[in-house]
Amino acid sequence: MSININRPCGTFDRNYFQAKELYRTPLRKTLLALLIVGMYLLPLTMGDYGLSLLIPICAFTIGMLGLQIITGYCGQISLGHAAFMGVGMYTVGILQRHFGFSFWFCLPLAGLIPMFLGMMFGIPALRIKGLYLAFATLAAHFVIVYVINNWRSVTNGTEGMWMKRPDVLFGIDFKSDRNYYFLVLTITIIMTYLATNLARTKLGRSFVAVRDNDIAAEVMGINIAYTKIMAFGIGCFFAGIAGALGGAYYEYVNIAWFRLEDSIWYLGFLVVGGFGSIFGAIAGAVVWKILDEATTLVTPLAEIFLGGAAFYASAAFALVFYSLIIVIFLVFEPRGIAHRWEIVKRSYRLHPFPY
Amino acid sequence: MAEITGDITKKREQRYSYGLTLLRECIEKKRPLTNPNPKEGKVLLQAEDISIAFGKLQALNHVTVEVKEGEILAIIGPNGAGKTCLLNVISGFYRAQNGQVYFEGSRITHSSSHSIAELGLCRTFQNIALYTGLSVIDNIIAGRHPHIGYNFLTGMIYFPFANREEARQRAVAEDIIDFLELEHVRGSVVGMLAYGLRKRVELGRALALEPRILLLDEPMAGMNLDEKEDMARFIIDINEFLKIPIVLIEHDMGVVMDIADRIVVLDFGNKIAEGPPEEIKKNPKVIAAYLGAG
Amino acid sequence: MEETTKSIVLGLCSGGIYALLAVSYVVIYKSTRVFPFSQAAVLIIGAYFMWFCLIVWHLPIWLGFLMTCAVGAILGMAIERAFMRPLVGQPILAPIVVTLCLMLLLRGIGILMGKGNIQGFGESFLPVGAWKISFLHLPKIQVYGFILCGVLIVGLMLFYAKTRLGLGMRVVHEDHVVAQNLGINVKRIFQYSWVISCIIAVITGMLLGNIQGVGLSLDLNGLIAIAAVLFGGLESFSGAIIAGLAIGILQMLTITYIAPLLPGETTMMAPFVFLLLILFLKPYGLFGLVRIERL
Repeated sequence: MSININRPCGTFDRNYFQAKELYRTPLRKTLLALLIVGMYLLPLTMGDYGLSLLIPICAFTIGMLGLQIITGYCGQISLGHAAFMGVGMYTVGILQRHFGFSFWFCLPLAGLIPMFLGMMFGIPALRIKGLYLAFATLAAHFVIVYVINNWRSVTNGTEGMWMKRPDVLFGIDFKSDRNYYFLVLTITIIMTYLATNLARTKLGRSFVAVRDNDIAAEVMGINIAYTKIMAFGIGCFFAGIAGALGGAYYEYVNIAWFRLEDSIWYLGFLVVGGFGSIFGAIAGAVVWKILDEATTLVTPLAEIFLGGAAFYASAAFALVFYSLIIVIFLVFEPRGIAHRWEIVKRSYRLHPFPY
Repeated sequence: MAEITGDITKKREQRYSYGLTLLRECIEKKRPLTNPNPKEGKVLLQAEDISIAFGKLQALNHVTVEVKEGEILAIIGPNGAGKTCLLNVISGFYRAQNGQVYFEGSRITHSSSHSIAELGLCRTFQNIALYTGLSVIDNIIAGRHPHIGYNFLTGMIYFPFANREEARQRAVAEDIIDFLELEHVRGSVVGMLAYGLRKRVELGRALALEPRILLLDEPMAGMNLDEKEDMARFIIDINEFLKIPIVLIEHDMGVVMDIADRIVVLDFGNKIAEGPPEEIKKNPKVIAAYLGAG
Repeated sequence: MEETTKSIVLGLCSGGIYALLAVSYVVIYKSTRVFPFSQAAVLIIGAYFMWFCLIVWHLPIWLGFLMTCAVGAILGMAIERAFMRPLVGQPILAPIVVTLCLMLLLRGIGILMGKGNIQGFGESFLPVGAWKISFLHLPKIQVYGFILCGVLIVGLMLFYAKTRLGLGMRVVHEDHVVAQNLGINVKRIFQYSWVISCIIAVITGMLLGNIQGVGLSLDLNGLIAIAAVLFGGLESFSGAIIAGLAIGILQMLTITYIAPLLPGETTMMAPFVFLLLILFLKPYGLFGLVRIERL
């Protein structure tokens, strides 16, 4: 963290500020700027289908960042991440439908309400050491799904709710997918910036401290319960925002989209992406969405090959295929794609030396 | 506070005082560092009548220990005497069934360990508790946690302000590293260091907390003569520069007799003797229980 | 009063099954310190395989039972060997994610086996009909199921108490390193734990498939049994048994008293609310062990 062992050859840190910089050399800064500009220019090359991939990728990225904070940085397992995304979506839906608030007002609430709800569920579990948060969030998932399904007057029950896109801002109309993509991309970049900074600050360090060695953390004046609750709260905040953005894209929200297996896929693809790094979270989200697309493509192929048996094969495909991928990654590359990427970067940096 | 934005070269001219200058400045902002008057004998930490039992095993039996200002107190005793247990009770990891602990006059008996650490009661562990995945400098900066000024929202949103604070903390951590002569391993991951170096890093982390009193649990275990002398020098320096009392659990009698001002002897959970080293050397109970034929 | 007694008695019967399932969780957790979420899905596999044996292949009941148990054993061995053993050195997060993914993998396999439908067992392998004892209407299935669960649990406890292998497993429960130093092959004990747990889960799957219909919703019972395990304490057999019975009774009481008041499927939700309450009040469970860390 503080000691940057991956500075390129010849660049040294002359003061402490330089030591802290993530993108140290002008080359890296330019590359980062190009990347961001490139992401904004992507819609020019792809039509609506591409946007239908990119916008959920951005939403999943925000959700994954949240889970990275909870699990990758703080080491707590949360099985309710999909449920809190649903809560975020439904917050926006309810506020729009019953109170007529605009999307802009609902968005921060869509983050805050899952955050407080999450902290409510998490507080009993986080006081104790052990994997009790997993059980608490498991229970939270079922309770949330039950409440949303049955509180018909507020949430419209199992039929789902309609949501509206954001209102016109600065003359940009967000009804078109492309403009909505720019909005989602901007929010994703902001959230990534916040998450990266969080990792470098005092609270972020205490997350890692609690994960690595909580006895040592206690000795150093870190309040373990507070740290874990903050990690869980911030993670659920990210999940809520992700849910709100995704829901506004589809303009319809239904809790049936958020099953327990979605929470497990969140965890699993976070493992595939890599724990403990922002790049890992983004990689996991991208891999997940790509596999989702592959799954939807399988269905017509299955029709061709398996005939009548197709409908259940495609239902099982995601379950079997994703689980195998996640388990294979866990067994062979437990630090995920991010670690592999580091190795690739190191090998080309040190070329032709082996290490 | 010394300028931290300058080049490293400028810094080289200013340092090499080996006196924990930056750390002392940080402490002086919060309380004055004055030489304690040994005649006054003011008591800083008091553990009264501590009893704790694990099931049928009585680990501590009505033990009373006092630590006065500015002294080095050594707690010795055979294995299983309850020395680490006493330290755990004082620093809040175990709950004693009986007894109270007073620190600077206020009661800290059932406080949580992190609030006790924030008050200034810092300890090291016998089996080291460091973050094995982080580097040495990160572990020491981690120890600065209670003294870092900004809250997390500021950190997340407006990083440059937090950046300056981080640089300040880095400077203090570097000061500690200079003092403990850990410059050559500053960037290494702690998991790969030798045991003796890890003990030093742990001492550095305890120092980073700006301690009011240090509790060291076998700081010289597993070291050879050179390393022991280094460690003893560090302990005496800390005692002099920061004007804080140090409580030492140690097995090496030579070191204990040399540097301790007062010794407390525990045996199977009971305190059997207390006093300056010359008295303890001659105390028949201590000889019978611990020193044996020595 | 009648209603309450009826609920309690029926709850005991279904609680027996939850107790058995909770015991299967505790068996693995005590040995390996990994919480096996995947056992929830082994239920599905057991139910489907029994269905295959009875309905598709028309085998006699005892043969189907034995074959399903064999499949359970093989499944346990395969899971432990292929998925758990490579992860031995890794932090606690890795095995848990693997067990969660296994749960989904087995669910997927269940879909493939059963072609996605819920099947009844047709002729159920335990006799239908009920006994009437005064005002109680006890379905025979439930009672025989309860007796079977009781026999299995007692058998397991005797195994732990009397046999040499059981003693070895109890040592592993305490401390892995100590067990290794005593010459006990800890990896093999892990394998036996998984095998025992999977056999138990598969038998539970058969019983539940009989009662609730063979389908994908069986793993919900597994998740409810997690609430039972937490209530009883993660490391306690007696706690698991008592808690399983308690959760069964709780479900029946919910059906009787609370379900009319609230809309929707309260029976599935009530154990989870109870789980949250337990975490608030007594997080380590009834008989759970609080480990004191040596510093």
